[in-house]
Amino acid sequence: MRNTRTMFPAAGLLAVAGLLLSGCAGAGGDSSDGSASTYNVYALLPQGTDQPYGTTYLPAMQAKADELGIKLTITNSKYDADTQASDCEVAVAAQPDLIILWPAVGDTVRPCLEAAKAAGIPVTATNSDVNPEDKSLIKGYSGPDTYGQGQASAEMMCDAAAGAPTNIIVINGLTGNSTAINRHDGFADYIAKSCTNITILAEQPGNWNKDDSQIAASEMLTSVGAENVQGIYAADDTMVAGAIDALKARGIDPSSLIITSIGNTKLGNPLVISGELYGTVFQSSSWDGENAVVLAYNVLTGKPVEENLFMPSVKVTKDNASDPSVAPEW
Amino acid sequence: MKLGTEQSGLLGRVRNLAARRTEGRGLILLALVIIVVAILEPTAFTAYSVTLGRVALIGLVALGLTAVILMGELDLSVASTLAVSGVIMASIPDLGLGIVVALAAGILIGIVNAVFVVYVGINSFIATLGMLFALRGLAFVISDEKPVRLSNIDAGIAFGAPLIGPVTPRVLIFIVAFIALQVFLTRVRAGREFYAVGGNRQAAFDAGIPVRRRIFTGFMISGFVAALAGVINTLERTAADPTAGSSVLLASFAAAIIGGVVLTGGRGSVVGTLIGALSLGILQVALTLSGVQTDIQDIFIGSILLIAVITDPTQLRAAAASVRSFFQRREKAQIPT
Amino acid sequence: MADQTTTAAVPPRAASDEPGLAKGRFSLLVWMSERGVFLFTALLVVVAVVFVNGFASLANITDVFYRAAPIGIVAVGMTFVVISANYLDLSVVAQVATASVILVGVSNTAGFPAAIGLALVVALLYGVVNGLAVGVFKANAVIVTLSTTFIGLGILRWLSGGSIFFGPEDGPIRAFGQAKLGPIPLSALVLLVITAVLWFVLTRTNFGFLIRSFGSNKAATRLAGVNTALVVVGAFVITSLAAMLAGFVLAAFSNTAVSTMSDGYDFSALAAIIIGGTSVFGGKGSVLRTLLGVIFVSVLTNILVLLGIGFGLQQVAIGALIVLAVSVDALARRVGKK
Repeated sequence: MRNTRTMFPAAGLLAVAGLLLSGCAGAGGDSSDGSASTYNVYALLPQGTDQPYGTTYLPAMQAKADELGIKLTITNSKYDADTQASDCEVAVAAQPDLIILWPAVGDTVRPCLEAAKAAGIPVTATNSDVNPEDKSLIKGYSGPDTYGQGQASAEMMCDAAAGAPTNIIVINGLTGNSTAINRHDGFADYIAKSCTNITILAEQPGNWNKDDSQIAASEMLTSVGAENVQGIYAADDTMVAGAIDALKARGIDPSSLIITSIGNTKLGNPLVISGELYGTVFQSSSWDGENAVVLAYNVLTGKPVEENLFMPSVKVTKDNASDPSVAPEW
Repeated sequence: MKLGTEQSGLLGRVRNLAARRTEGRGLILLALVIIVVAILEPTAFTAYSVTLGRVALIGLVALGLTAVILMGELDLSVASTLAVSGVIMASIPDLGLGIVVALAAGILIGIVNAVFVVYVGINSFIATLGMLFALRGLAFVISDEKPVRLSNIDAGIAFGAPLIGPVTPRVLIFIVAFIALQVFLTRVRAGREFYAVGGNRQAAFDAGIPVRRRIFTGFMISGFVAALAGVINTLERTAADPTAGSSVLLASFAAAIIGGVVLTGGRGSVVGTLIGALSLGILQVALTLSGVQTDIQDIFIGSILLIAVITDPTQLRAAAASVRSFFQRREKAQIPT
Repeated sequence: MADQTTTAAVPPRAASDEPGLAKGRFSLLVWMSERGVFLFTALLVVVAVVFVNGFASLANITDVFYRAAPIGIVAVGMTFVVISANYLDLSVVAQVATASVILVGVSNTAGFPAAIGLALVVALLYGVVNGLAVGVFKANAVIVTLSTTFIGLGILRWLSGGSIFFGPEDGPIRAFGQAKLGPIPLSALVLLVITAVLWFVLTRTNFGFLIRSFGSNKAATRLAGVNTALVVVGAFVITSLAAMLAGFVLAAFSNTAVSTMSDGYDFSALAAIIIGGTSVFGGKGSVLRTLLGVIFVSVLTNILVLLGIGFGLQQVAIGALIVLAVSVDALARRVGKK
C-alpha cells in the first residue's frame, strides 16, 4: 500500500529527471561535435505548444535551425511580459550569438533590447514587431504584418459591401493581447477611414476560442437584433467558425452575410470553400517559424537583410481557397 | 540567513522553534535544487544576478502575502493589485507622482479588503476573490485594454540597470522589504501579534491584542507590496500591461507554502517564504538555461512541487499514522480516544 | 497530530460566513440571508426581463444555458472539495482541457468508446493523485492541485503537441453538442442531472454526510473512526469526474478541443461556489446553491454583453457583485442574529 503511494511521484520524478538529463546530454552533444559552424541562438517566444499557432510554428523553426546548424534554446513566457523580461536577462547572461524575440507585449521590450545591445548580442524580431521607435535596436523583423492583416480583412469586407450601408458585429481576440490589439486597430482604422458605410454595432472578445466566440456572437446578435446585422468580423478563423455556428443555430444562412476573418486555418479554409466565410487572410505559421531562423542566420553570417521581411498577407476568398499555395496549416 | 534572532521569554523561544521547523521542507527542497542545478546547469549560479532578479520577481509579492497568511487570512487580489497599480502609475505623466499614487492605491486596496473582512465580516477568501476580478477589470478600463507606455522611458531603463555589482534596484528593494518584514514580524510587538491572531484569534482577542487593527495592517502590507511590485515591473518594462501578473498569484502562494507558511495561519516565517522563492527562482532559471522543451519544464516544476509538498516530515508522520490507523481499524473497530 | 491543531485554528470570523440556520428567532433578515443568492438571481432575472432588450428571447435563454453548462458542471463537482475543507481544486483547468482533447483527438483516431474510456482513466488518476496527496499525505490542497495542473497541462501539451482538434461534422460529438430540448441544450440537461445526482450524494448518502462532517471538523471525524483519507479521495474523484464531463460538454459544444479552452475555470468555478454561499472553510454548503451561483454569474455576464458593456467593466461588475452579494448576506445574518 505504501509502496504504491510513493511509487507514482517517485517514478514521475525519475522519468522527468531522466528526460532533463537526456535533454542536457543532447544539447551538450551538439556543441561538442564541432560541426562546421554552430550558432547558439535564444528564441524568446510568448507561446509554444500551449497554442495551436505555436504548435505548428515551432517544428518549422526547429527544422530550419537544424538545417542551418543553429542550436536553439526556446523559452515560452505565456504572454507574461515580466516572465519574458526575465527570460531575456537569462538569455543575455548566457551570451548566445543572437536572440530571436517575439514580444509578449510590444511596449515592454525596450529594456531587453538595450540589455542585448549593451552585451553585443544582435536581436531579430519574429511574428510581432517591436514599436517603430525601437526598430533601431533590432537587426530586422520577419513575420506577418498583424496590423495589415486586420486591414486586409477590412478591405475584403469593404469590397463585398460595395458601398452599401453594412452593420457588423466584431469579435476580438483575448483582451489585452498584442496580436488582438493590432488586428483590431488595423480593421477599425481602415473602416473608420476608408469604408464609412460599414458600422460596428457591437464588439466583444472571443478569447481566440470557438466556444467563447459562439456565445458572444449569439448574444451580440440578440442585443442588436439579428435582422440588423449584415456582416461579422472575427480576429481569427477559430472564432469566426464559432460566429458562423451561432448564425446557423438561429437558422440564418451565413452566406447571406459578409463574414471575414484572419488565418485561413484548417477550420476556416473549408468555410471559405463552402461560401459561409466570405474571406480570410492567410497566415502561415510554418513560414513564420522558418523565416525567423532564416533571418537570424542571415544576420549571423553577415548577409544583407531587409528591415522587414513581411509574410505575404494573401487574401483568401472562394476564388483561390482551393489553391495549393494557400493550403491551411493548422 | 537563519532565523537566529534571540527572542526574550519562553513564548518567543517556543515560537521560534516552531517557526524554524516549518522551514524544514523548504530547506530540503532548496538544497536539492542547488545540488542538482550546480551539477547540471551551473550557469544559473555564475549568472547569479539574473537568478537574483528572478527570485526577487517571484518573492516580493510573496513576502507581502506572507504577512496576511500568517493571520489566517488570504489575499487573492495581489496579482490584480499589481496590474492596476502599474496601469495607474503609467497613466500619470509625472513619474514621481505616479509612483506615489500607485503605492497609495495599493494601500487603499488593502484597506478596502480589510474593511470587508473586518467590518462587513465576509471571509477574506471571498472578499479578495471579488477584488481579483474587479481590479483586473479596473486595470483594463483605465488602460483602455492596451499596454500603457511610461512617458519617461529613459528613467525606466535607468531603473533596470545594476546599482552595485549585480544588485539592481529590484533586488535591493526585495532585500530591504525582506529585512523590514522579518524585523517587523519577529522584533516588533505588533508584528509578533500577527502570529497570535493567526494561531488563535479568540485567545489573541482575549489577551487584549487589537485583532482588527492587526488585520488592517496585514492587508495594507500585502496591498502595498503588491503595488510596489507593480511599480517596479512597470519601471523595468517601461510600460504597464493590464494583463500583467498572470503567474504572480500562484507563484507567490507556492513560494510561501513551500517555505512552510501554513495557510490556516499562525505558523511560518518570511525566511521560509524567501527559501521558497529561492528554490522556485533558481529552478526556473536553470530550466530556462537548459533549453528543455517548456512542456517538460512544466512537468518538472509540477513534480518538484508535488514531491516537496508531500514529503514534509510532519506530513510523512501523518501519512504513516493514517496508514497505521487504517490497519488498526481493519483489525478491530476500536475507537481511539 | 500536529496537523489537527491547525484545522482548529480556523478564524472565528469564518463562522459568520457560513450559511445555515442562524440561532435565535426567525426574522425577515435571517430568512433573506438564507436565500440570498436565490433572491439576487431572481431580482436580476426580473430586472433583465423588464429592462434588457432580447433577454427573454428563446435564443438568449439558450445562450445563458450554454454559458452556464460547462463551468456549472465543474463548479458543482468542485463543491465537494470545498465542502471537505480543502479550499479548491486548481487542476480542474488541466482536467477539463485534457478531457476535451482526449474526447475529440482520441475519438478521431481510435474511436469514441476508446476516447471515453481513456478520459475516464485520466479523470480517476487526477482524482486519486490529488486525493491521496491531500488525504493521506495531508499536503496542502492548493499546492497539490497547482502542481498537478503543471504536470497535467505539461503532459497534455507534450503528448498532443498542443494542436487544436476538431471532430467530424457528422460525428456523435457534434450531434451531442447541437442537441436541444426546446430552448434547453443537452449540455444544460447534463448540468441539471449532475446537480441532482450530486445533491443526492451529498445530502442523502453516508459518504455525503462524511464529507460534510469532515469539512466541519476533521479531528472529530477522524476520531470517530472514519477513514478520512478515503473521504478526501472521494471528494477529489467526484470533482475530477465532473471536470471530465465538463470537458466533454465544452468540446461537444464547439466540436473543437484545445489545451487552452478552460483557462480561468479554476477561479470562475470557485466564484460560483462562493456566490452560492458555500463556506470556503468547509462543512457547510450545497450543490444546489452552487447551481444558483453559476446561474447568477451566467445571467449577469449575459446581461452585460447584451448591454454592450466592455470586457473590463464586465469584470469589475462581476467582482463587485461577488463582494456585494456576500456582504449583504453577511450583514443580514449578523443583524438577524441580534
